[in-house]
Amino acid sequence: MANAIPFQLITPLSVKFDGQAELVIAVGTEGEVGILPSHAPYLTALRPGVLRANVQGTGGATERLELACGEGFLQALPGKVTILADAALSRDEIDIPQAREDLQAAQDEQKAAGGDLAAWRRAQAKIDFANARLSVAGLNPGH
Amino acid sequence: MPTVRDLRDRIRSLKNTQQITKAMKQVAAAKIRRAEALQKQSRPYADAIGAMLRDLIANVGAVDHPFMKPGREGVPGGVIVMTADKGLAGSFNGNLIRAAEVHAREHADLAWYSIGIKGRNALRRQRGEMLQFWPLAQGDMFANARDLAERVTVDFVGGKIGTLTLISPKLVNMMTQRPEVRQLLPITADEPNGEKTGGSVEFEPSPEFVLGRLLPKYLEFTLYSAMLETNASFYAAQLIAMNNATDNAKKLIDENTVEMNKARQAAITKEILEIVGGAEALAG
Repeated sequence: MANAIPFQLITPLSVKFDGQAELVIAVGTEGEVGILPSHAPYLTALRPGVLRANVQGTGGATERLELACGEGFLQALPGKVTILADAALSRDEIDIPQAREDLQAAQDEQKAAGGDLAAWRRAQAKIDFANARLSVAGLNPGH
Repeated sequence: MPTVRDLRDRIRSLKNTQQITKAMKQVAAAKIRRAEALQKQSRPYADAIGAMLRDLIANVGAVDHPFMKPGREGVPGGVIVMTADKGLAGSFNGNLIRAAEVHAREHADLAWYSIGIKGRNALRRQRGEMLQFWPLAQGDMFANARDLAERVTVDFVGGKIGTLTLISPKLVNMMTQRPEVRQLLPITADEPNGEKTGGSVEFEPSPEFVLGRLLPKYLEFTLYSAMLETNASFYAAQLIAMNNATDNAKKLIDENTVEMNKARQAAITKEILEIVGGAEALAG
């Protein structure tokens, strides 16, 4: 059995995952971060994107977890990894037409933002989240 | 003296009312379970974000973020009032609005934000204030909380409001909901009891940046969880109000039934007396 660390994925609506993880890969604001067990204490902000993790399922077999996450934070402490996210959707929870619609709306919003940097960033976060959903749903191979 | 027919009509109408209040009571009981479940589900997030914030502040020390510094002087204080969208919950909305009024008397210059249709209507009527408004339980509650957080953040950082106060109900238990007034901004770091991880925590890209992301999220989540609590409190208040209303209706139905029986008996007695009187007159 590979080395593992307790991992929790928490959204305001529920605890999405609570178990042992061998590897957690999230999309940080500075790029993707991979966390292995016994990582140094670490805290970063996450931007919307696809969260991937190798977790231990029933019987200790490694399972692949892939979720579309909203904005959030990742905290690695000795003996614990916690991710807080606005949302975390698995493949069967994703409404593809809705995601497409959101993507279009966010792209329009970004075009309309003009010089307003904060509005531009907010729109970008929505675009990232929509793309993450499409990607987890198996579409949008560019991402 | 009401006739038997009057009383019978009154009882029928009371029974209808009782049926409605009973149905509303059952609906409220079901909704409160749902509202409480949502509240419960949000608790791990609340614990985690609170812990992260404390750890971060403990490790960073002095923090340079607009949320943690006193706001601008000489501008209105921002107040968020949370009420329900609907009534029929006893004094629930009234108590919150009264708390807002008390706050308004103590503080001269205020800018209002409102969650919940009842609060908006009352503030418009009583104070003639123009305010920013979101419904409590229509659409996506989390999205509404985020909108509100964004609005107050822009106003606070932009110097339109100097402080931010929240007036919302606290669900003490199912029988008691109390309006609670608390200051949200600036955030006072009064809990420096985070885990000091020895200064070895690595922040990416920097502690200030992460804190800059975490504080708005914290505000957003605080508002969301206050909305959840408002919602749960509302249904708790409604449950009790409707329970009382059903009991009152039952009492009135009982009283009226007794009166109706008396009236019917009186009418029968009168008729018998008339017959007896008539028979005696004939026999006489």
